[in-house]
Parts: sequence; structure tokens; C-alpha cells
Amino acid sequence: MSGRLSGVATVFRRELATVVRTPGYGVLAVGLLVALGGLLAAGGGGATGFVPAVVDLLLPTEALVPLVAVVLGYRALLTDAASGELAVIRTYPVRVGEYVTGVLLARTVALVAVVGVPYAAIGVVVWLTAAPDTGIFATHAGVDSPLLYVRFLAFVLLLGAAYVSLAAAVSALAASRRSAIALGSLALVAGVLGGDLVLLRSLAAGASPTTVPSAIALAPNGAFRGLVFEHVIGVAFAPEGGFVSTVRAVGSLVGWTLLGAVVAGATLAWGRRVDAAIERVRREIGS
Amino acid sequence: MPDDLVASLSEVARTYGGVRVLDDVSLAFEPGVTAVIGPNGSGKSTLLRMLVGATEPTAGEVRYPGATGPKPIGYLPQRIPFRDGFTARETLAFYARLVDDDPDAALERVGLGDAGGRRVDALSGGMRRLLGIAQAVLGDPSLVVLDEPASGLDPGMRERAFRAAARRADGDTAVVVSSHALDLVDAHADRVAILGQGRVAAAGPLDRLLEEHGAADASELYRAVMEDTEAQAVDEADAGDAAGGDGESDDAEPDVHVTGVSDR
Repeated sequence: MSGRLSGVATVFRRELATVVRTPGYGVLAVGLLVALGGLLAAGGGGATGFVPAVVDLLLPTEALVPLVAVVLGYRALLTDAASGELAVIRTYPVRVGEYVTGVLLARTVALVAVVGVPYAAIGVVVWLTAAPDTGIFATHAGVDSPLLYVRFLAFVLLLGAAYVSLAAAVSALAASRRSAIALGSLALVAGVLGGDLVLLRSLAAGASPTTVPSAIALAPNGAFRGLVFEHVIGVAFAPEGGFVSTVRAVGSLVGWTLLGAVVAGATLAWGRRVDAAIERVRREIGS
Repeated sequence: MPDDLVASLSEVARTYGGVRVLDDVSLAFEPGVTAVIGPNGSGKSTLLRMLVGATEPTAGEVRYPGATGPKPIGYLPQRIPFRDGFTARETLAFYARLVDDDPDAALERVGLGDAGGRRVDALSGGMRRLLGIAQAVLGDPSLVVLDEPASGLDPGMRERAFRAAARRADGDTAVVVSSHALDLVDAHADRVAILGQGRVAAAGPLDRLLEEHGAADASELYRAVMEDTEAQAVDEADAGDAAGGDGESDDAEPDVHVTGVSDR
């Protein structure tokens, strides 16, 4: 294995072992499963098929998945920095990029387990228990398939990965656990509500409604919602689609993921220099 | 500049929140054991953090002319940072994989061969420090920097920790140790750097410094240098007052002692 891959793999193994040994993440997965099951039971869509189940879960998912992802990521890079272990790790031949990549990959695998397993379990339950309902089938143009749910699950994980990465960036910027919680909460609220609020504001300011499909894809939640409408719900409702540009939406989610990773890496790589530069400026001003 | 220089600090300074913690520090580190001593808050930990690159100086330069290899620097912070959920062996295995070293051999070197299966949080303070030393010397670094490896340990464990560190100081390796254990400095250090109020009050081979200050051991040397430093600070303050004005001259301004700042 080449040096860089070896560095990433070594950090990944350690981080994954840490995640596996954190009982709270198991509780988080069970809590998510209970919440999803409750929502599905209350909505009733799960009893009739995958697409109605997705309709029931779509809105809660936009809040629950970012929340779980932020919980998984908000301390990902803070732990080593706050304990002083990062200073030790940096004396080894592992670059900041390798370290951040290893940590992020492990946290993303954790996301797949903590979020993916409950959603998959819900899908299995729907598959086993859903009965044809003529009224719902008529409403949904008679299209339903486990494949649609698999697509939904893939979009859920893409959304979660973006938030894990953004939360990791927050964890690199934070100076303490308390500030990480505050910054993580801020990122969560901004991510979940910010895109829609900005879009509504621009429409109120006179922006053309034809810009909605492209504008909605810029925020992670909007991109996720657009993809679900385009490739899951919309398949049943409106075969012609047009809710969002798929490339733009997927690009947006991947872009947010990369942005989080880059911000995290840059913060760890140059944070000390920036700190020293601020001290120099402070001294110049004070002298 | 000596031919076998491993690392050097050249006129380095560091402030935190505008408060000066280290100022105009120049030191050269050669193979052998260099002990950095000084009162609490004198800037020892900040100096060591700058030496390993964990803290950026606000002025001056850190160079590593003789620190080579895949892992040129080994570092043990004052507060042992390892993750609690892992065993001693797992902890070392993580670091050993990064430099293709053998974690079991590293545990044996510091006498922790039988404790490899114990979780880090179940190790005593001394054993955690020994684990930290084992980590610091993985990959055979040319510069080993240990921040208070004997802190909080019983006499036997302090001796063991220092001996484990001193064993690394061979022909090519510089071991830099900060410590309040002056008896161990006497026993193991080749050179000493004494910090006072964020500056180097004295530095050089221990034997030479003992002779220059007429001291019998490191404790006497430390007391003598600290008394000189305090007297000098008083003289400088008096000179500043005598010069009149508002006394804001940099030269006359005593360095500020901020308890705990050096622990960053």
C-alpha cells in the first residue's frame, strides 16, 4: 500500500474503532429507527407502498438525517485537537489531508450504519407489510418499486455525507466541545432552513419562479428534496420530471461534502499560522 | 554553529492574547540530553511545542538541520493525550503502523510488555507516561521532545521514565526534556536551558554552568540563576523608573508571568 493510502487507512481504522466503541451511536441508530417507525405508522403511507412511505418520511428526513450527521461529525476532528493528540499525530509522516480523509471516511461509514440501517430496516418492513391500496395507487399513478426506495436511501446517505463533512469542518473550527455544539447547531439550522429561506426571499424580491429548479439545488436540503421528487416521488406523479437538475443537485451534495473536507483540512493545516499571524497583528496594534 | 546540530530556535517569541510568554529565545539542540527547567509559567511547554512545530512562533525561526528520517521528531506532551477506549498495544499499534515499527518491541523497551492488553484509562499515571515515551521514540526520531515525563510520578517511576528517555540520546539523537525533577536532571542531562520569565536565563553544558555559577548541583544552579534573573529584572525596572517618562519602553517592561499559559 502506498504511503498516502497507508496513512488514510491507518487513521480510518482508528477512527472506525472509536466509533464502534461509542455506545451512544448505537442508541442514536435505535432512536432513529423508532422515530422513523413512529412517523411511518402515524402517516400510514408505509402500509401502502414505498412511494407513500417516502412521502411520509421526506420532510422529517430533512431534519433527522442532518441532525444525526451533525452528532456523528461535530467532534470528529475536535477530539484529537482538544486532547493534544493531534500535535503528536502531526510528528508522524501522515499529512493533514490524509488525516482528515481517514477521519471523514470512518465517520461516513458510521453514517451508513447509523442512518442507512434504520432506513433499510424501514424499507424491509414496508416490503413485507405493504398491501395494495387502490385509492393510493390511483393517486400515485400505480408506480411503486423497491428500487425507488433504494434511490431514496442513496439520496439520504448523500445528504448525510454532506452534513457529516460540514460538521467535521465545524469540529475543526471549534475550540471546545461547547463551541462545537454551538457551531454545529448553527450549521444544522442554517442548512435545514437557510436554503429555503434564501429562496423564498429571492422570490419575494422578484426573482422568476423559473429559477427555482436551479436555485433549490444549491442548498443541501433543496438538492436532496429535488432529487427525491425527481427520481422517487416524481416517477409516480409526473413522468416528465423537471423538479431539479439531477447533475446540479448531485453536484451540490458532493460539493458541500468536499467543501466541508477542504475547510476542515485547511483549518488544521493553517490554523496555527493564522493564530500566530493574529498574535503578531495584536502585538503591532498594542505596541 | 555546531556541526552536529539537530535543531535550533533562533530569536523566537510567542504571545497569547497579546501577553508575552516567550521572548527572544535562541537555543541549539545537539545529540544528548538537554533539560529545560524553569518555574511554572516560564514558557517551558510553549518552547517545547514550538520546537516540535505544534505552536507557531510569533517571531523568530525554528530549524531542524539534523532532524531527518520519515519521523524526524518524537513528542510527548505534558498531558498524555491517548484515547481512553484503546489498549496500550492498540494505541502504540496505531502510531507504529505510520512508521512501520513494532509496537510490542516499543512496549518492551519501556517495560510495559505485560501491560499491552490494558486499556489506557486503566493504566497508572506512570504507565501512561511510559506509554507516551514509547510512542515518542517510535520510528527512531533524531529529535525526541518530552514535556515533563516525570511529572506526578513516584521516585521509582520518575527514574524509570527519565532513564527510558536518556537511553535514546545516542550519537545522533537529541533528547529535550522539561522537568522540575532537578535530581534527575543532575543524573541524566548533558546540557541545561534555564528559562525565567519567558527568556533564557542560562544555557549550556551542565558541567560548565555548574562551574560558572559555583553550584554543586542542578538545584543550586537553578536557585542561583533564578536569583540573578530576579535581581536583573528589579534593576531593569529601577532603570526604567529612573529614566523617567511613562516607563513603557520594551526593554524596561518586565515580562508578564501568566500562570497556566504555558500549558497550552
